[in-house]
Amino acid sequence: MELSSGFLNYLDVFLFGALPYLSLTIFLIVTIQRYRQDTFTYSTLSSQFLENRQHFWAMVPFHYGLLTVLAGHIVAFAIPRAILAWNGVPIRLYVLEVSALICGLLTAVGLVMALIRRSKDTRVRGVTTASDWVLFAMLLFQVSTGVLIAVFVGWGSSWFAAAVSPYLWSLVKFQPDWAFIVGLPLLAKLHIVSAFLMIAFFPFTRLVHVLVIPNQYLWRRAQMVRWYGFRGSR
Amino acid sequence: MRIQRVATVVRRAAPALLAMALPTLSHARAEDPISDFEANCMSCHTIGGGRLTGPDLKDVSQRKDRAWLARFIVEPATVIDSGDAYALKLRNEARGVVMPAIAGMTLDRAKALLELIEAESALEKSKFAGIQMSDRPFTEDDVRLGREIFLGTQPLKNGGAACVSCHSVSGIGVLAGGGLGPELSDVYGRLNGRKGLGTWLAAPATTTMQSIFAPHPLDGDKEILPLLAYFSDIAQDPPESSQAATLIFILLGLSGTAAALMIFDLMWKGRFTGVRKALVAASSDGVEAKQQ
Repeated sequence: MELSSGFLNYLDVFLFGALPYLSLTIFLIVTIQRYRQDTFTYSTLSSQFLENRQHFWAMVPFHYGLLTVLAGHIVAFAIPRAILAWNGVPIRLYVLEVSALICGLLTAVGLVMALIRRSKDTRVRGVTTASDWVLFAMLLFQVSTGVLIAVFVGWGSSWFAAAVSPYLWSLVKFQPDWAFIVGLPLLAKLHIVSAFLMIAFFPFTRLVHVLVIPNQYLWRRAQMVRWYGFRGSR
Repeated sequence: MRIQRVATVVRRAAPALLAMALPTLSHARAEDPISDFEANCMSCHTIGGGRLTGPDLKDVSQRKDRAWLARFIVEPATVIDSGDAYALKLRNEARGVVMPAIAGMTLDRAKALLELIEAESALEKSKFAGIQMSDRPFTEDDVRLGREIFLGTQPLKNGGAACVSCHSVSGIGVLAGGGLGPELSDVYGRLNGRKGLGTWLAAPATTTMQSIFAPHPLDGDKEILPLLAYFSDIAQDPPESSQAATLIFILLGLSGTAAALMIFDLMWKGRFTGVRKALVAASSDGVEAKQQ
């Protein structure tokens, strides 16, 4: 009894006091090293040319959902007071939580579609690497724990601002205070640990594409793609 | 050879790493018995202020010997499970509530706490005799204000998060309150009414509540009192199930997702769907035609 609770104490210290720094160190070193060594692997290697129908239903909901949810996490980390003030009126809290759930579900739909597409379409499966499959598993775990938290451990937008944001700031200040985290339900702890693991795994995957987003795509003119060897017009 | 060298380095570094980690483990909460008592005991015990969830600790070491008390503080559940008669009596008096094990509690810490309790018992009035809060009867206004504080429409003076962020109670709307912490409809009775719950709110005993509210404490008369009034008021209502609220939340999420997918489909109405296949076919036809 005492031994196991002692072990859990150490586990909490490791997971919430050491792992974040370990992950960030790996992230920084490998990201820079990979950019210097294999500059041209900084891409997500689009497979849209190989399959373009399911691609839409995978990529569009996944990216819009994920980017919104991620932005929400960052805002609640950066300005928790503002989030708590916004949530001070129940109807505003409910609007925020339902929107967050919708974006989480969109991410899940997109991810599942991407998984189906990758495993069903022979050509796309051919260009899928081992690291892609591991990343799929991690994303699936991260997104499903996130959605489950939204549904069963409400209201995350508020308690993230009240408990997780001060914990993350304590990490930034190099004075990790995991007391905010150790009492949280298992689902929330799993979500946090898996996020740290994903930060560590980030530079080994196609996720590096988020560091080199071609922003000019947003405003450059549409390009016309012509096929070589195609004669005549319709 | 190389593996052995790595193993030696790890073995040598391990004690140093452990020594670095150990002081942070107990987390600066236990360095002196007074703050230890404030953080871990005060929410359930007074010294000379009467019973809360746990017994009044005034002169406790005259009721039972110190070695037994120290052991009970370190591992309460083990002592109770061993069938110790006095421990079982304590549990019955606390209506079955078992004292929680305190993370990182040691015999030395327990002895320091017992010394503090003895010293405080000798005083005419201990500083741990319970919080000072008005004991005037609750009014309708208190209940209304308490509900507003619970929901967050009346923000907490010191910037703490509203109760609804993590807790639910009966009768607060379709989507109910948060699910991180326990449901609080019956908390007034569970934590022994006005005095017990009031002390708990002044010095919460769970790690999560403690870390959230230590930097943002609640105000006794302006916040805790109305909350107590509200909790005592809803304690009379029958508890509501939160399953309906969860179901409504899921359905709202699913329909919103379906709507978003339809919007995406409309927004990209002109996207390539079948065109590329036809292009590829036509293109390879052309190549074949050339070759012939």
